Amino acid sequence: MPTEMAAAPLLSNVQFTNAMLLAISPQLIVAFGIVLSLLLIAWKRSRRMLQGLTSAIFIVALIASVPLLFNNEIPVTILLKVDGYGVFAFMLVCFSGLMVTLLSGQLLQRNTEAHDEYYLLLQLVILGGGVLVVSDHFASLFLGFELLSLALVGMVGFFREGKHAVETAFKYLILSATASSFMLLGIAFIYSQTGSLHFSLINTGVNGADQLGAELTNTFHALGMLLFFAGMAFKLSLVPFHFWTPDVYQGAPTPVTMLMATVSKVAMFTVLMKCLFSQGVFVQSHMMQLMALVAILSMVFGNVLALKQENLKRLLGYSSIAHMGYLLIVLLITSMQDINFAWQSALFYLSAYVLASLSIFMVLIFTTQEALLPGQSQQQAEDDTTIGSWQGLFWRKPMMAFLAILAVLSLAGIPLSMGFIAKFYLLTFASQAGLWWLIAALVVGSGIGLFYYLRIIFSLFAAPFSEQKAEQKVQQQAVSSDGTGQVQASGNWPWKGVLVTGFVFAGLVFGLYPDVLMQVISRLGELTEPLAVLDQTP
Amino acid sequence: MTAIPLNHVLILACILFSIGFIGVIIRKNTLFILMSLEIMLNAVGVAFIGAGSVWQQADGQIMFILILSLAAAEVAIGLALLIRMQRRYQSLDIDKLSEMRG
Repeated sequence: MPTEMAAAPLLSNVQFTNAMLLAISPQLIVAFGIVLSLLLIAWKRSRRMLQGLTSAIFIVALIASVPLLFNNEIPVTILLKVDGYGVFAFMLVCFSGLMVTLLSGQLLQRNTEAHDEYYLLLQLVILGGGVLVVSDHFASLFLGFELLSLALVGMVGFFREGKHAVETAFKYLILSATASSFMLLGIAFIYSQTGSLHFSLINTGVNGADQLGAELTNTFHALGMLLFFAGMAFKLSLVPFHFWTPDVYQGAPTPVTMLMATVSKVAMFTVLMKCLFSQGVFVQSHMMQLMALVAILSMVFGNVLALKQENLKRLLGYSSIAHMGYLLIVLLITSMQDINFAWQSALFYLSAYVLASLSIFMVLIFTTQEALLPGQSQQQAEDDTTIGSWQGLFWRKPMMAFLAILAVLSLAGIPLSMGFIAKFYLLTFASQAGLWWLIAALVVGSGIGLFYYLRIIFSLFAAPFSEQKAEQKVQQQAVSSDGTGQVQASGNWPWKGVLVTGFVFAGLVFGLYPDVLMQVISRLGELTEPLAVLDQTP
Repeated sequence: MTAIPLNHVLILACILFSIGFIGVIIRKNTLFILMSLEIMLNAVGVAFIGAGSVWQQADGQIMFILILSLAAAEVAIGLALLIRMQRRYQSLDIDKLSEMRG
């Protein structure tokens, strides 16, 4: 029986070597940071210090992952496997976490209660993402998945006095729990047919390669893959499972929405890709057709539904559905040779998407803070972030409007922006694989997308919004005794300028010289040989 | 003892899972929704245990323990939100929550 065969590699892998510890050091740093933050809270409850510590932890984790980028892939026990792609994805996750940390400060400042838990939850989300992107086993995938989702539920409903807090958190909890049940049932079915929880079927020793063909026709295995994909699609908000996205995007505090749009998407997509490629899904034609259908539906529906949205956060929610649809193209590889190119396109697309999302949410956070009337609560203001509230931003804050324009152009995929290059890679990929329907959907989707993206840009350049409202604001500020809120808001001003300029710079550089990033990503591919084991299949 | 065929276990898991899922969809009371979620997770547990016993591995049972801890964490968050909801809306009806549209 397979008992001895399965037990042997388990026992021999228990010892940690230094190389292994080094390979997962970024994740260990974040995990250690969580303990450190707890100790800091026990010692002194200072929001500002905790914010500093959290950013420091993310920066250290980012620095620690740089030398790992070009390492060969290292399996760390049977649970994790650190490769260049995973490390790159972790850096994206960590960078987004850092930005969210920096931007959350003011949101917490406006609320009177002590909010130390916020940063702890944030670090847990990042740790979950970090575990996800390097996982190579369904158990570690499950742990990372839940670490990320449960901490996010906490963050979504964090400001419990907010108008939509309970509603949003409850919706997110129920849907994410349902999604994880689906995913788990899928894993259980896959396990029942293959006898292994490892991603790649071949090196488990339980199943010979000869059995692989037989299994793929098995109903329960196919059903398992389907359920697993459905669970992940919930998290990626692909079309049949997208209903939660706009509501949760709108109801969550903006920095949390930012976190959801970046960290959760990057981590989930990376792990989905890793798992599906290792499982050899590209052999199963039914699964491929299904994924193509989901991709087309997501592109079309995401863009069409975004058309009539007035609320910016809802609009971005729908646009993220479309973007995940585009990205799904890279999963539809036809042979092993495409895997490297698929990874490169996906990581480039994800970087472009993350950079654009971070930029646009950053502008959103800054503008809501400025437009805040003294008597108004933060959450209330956030609910009203319509496209109209950005009207004439260009004439008031040119730099911020410029950042917003760059981000929107990148999301729309206009030439000379990062999003264009990313979409170009996807198109190249799709035409090589001969996925003509998907190309058609991508082009149509992007065309529809232009309508609402351009609407944002037109609004930025439109005449400044009515003088009446501005006057009213000035009056109210004068009334509120020497504007305490205003002093707080301008406290972080230098930070704002640096961040906005930095993102504008990054957007321009990567848009004009995408080679800089592409070379880094393609070097990841040269050194890691994903699934060298699978090449031995007859 | 005659072994139970794996397919029977999986079909049982499917049935339990469907009961739970239907519960999540049609129940209006949030407490029952949380209970239905538990049923779904435990159905998965049944499938894992069954699969683990077929392959004579501990993996299935370990996954079940992980699922149990997930269920506990999820219910803890769910009940906390439930209490907030009861305080705020004086009701556990899920339809009272739907305020956002569009």
